[in-house]
Amino acid sequence: MAEHRLDFASPPDDVTAVHEFLARVWGTEPSVGPEDRMAFELALVELASNVVEHAGGAARIACSLDLAVRDGGLEARLTDDGRPASVDPSVAELPDASAESGRGLALVGMVVDELRYAREGETNTWTVRRLIR
Amino acid sequence: MDIVVHETGTDTAVLECTGRLNMVSAPAFRETVATVVDGGHHRVVIELSGVEFMDSSGLGALVGCLKTARQAGGDLRIAAPSEQVTMVLTLSNIDKILRTYPDGDAAVANWA
Repeated sequence: MAEHRLDFASPPDDVTAVHEFLARVWGTEPSVGPEDRMAFELALVELASNVVEHAGGAARIACSLDLAVRDGGLEARLTDDGRPASVDPSVAELPDASAESGRGLALVGMVVDELRYAREGETNTWTVRRLIR
Repeated sequence: MDIVVHETGTDTAVLECTGRLNMVSAPAFRETVATVVDGGHHRVVIELSGVEFMDSSGLGALVGCLKTARQAGGDLRIAAPSEQVTMVLTLSNIDKILRTYPDGDAAVANWA
């Protein structure tokens, strides 16, 4: 079991920081299989994209991503100091096929076993967990 | 993301993409496809074998580019998606509206 942490700020950072962080993490965690890596990378990049796009707006936001690799699964927590989220992740559904946005959270919900959002004080916290079967 | 445009016919083009199709690269990707379609190549194949990651921003860009091509009287097809891209296409049901071909040549050859 190991824990990994990434701190980033947008701007200037973007989701590239998350991709590069995960590449480093997977390099040290050979026990995590390709399917779990793909699923969790999608989930975390979608969440980080949402935060950068919606929580930030024009303002600079500071984010932290904590990722824990345990025997039974992958767990991550993404926090930011931006605006509160206006969506309920538990009801996120795929939009019409012709839509050009709005699929992010629905996809996250499909590749994780648990997805939660909380606003505490001035902080947004997104938590995801994926069980390793 | 890198995009190499191969103009394979008077109205067909294959865009060979490499890297990640996400919120960072999606705007430039949309712009490149719009330029290709504006230039008369309205039958567009997006060759994805070198794209190791795509997310909902990438999906949105593909759907937008499909509309751009169809509005110009053409179409958009995707070729050789990686395992990750296939996963995202399937989860989102976009595989129902975007035809996938094994490679760029197959996508172009079958265009009657």
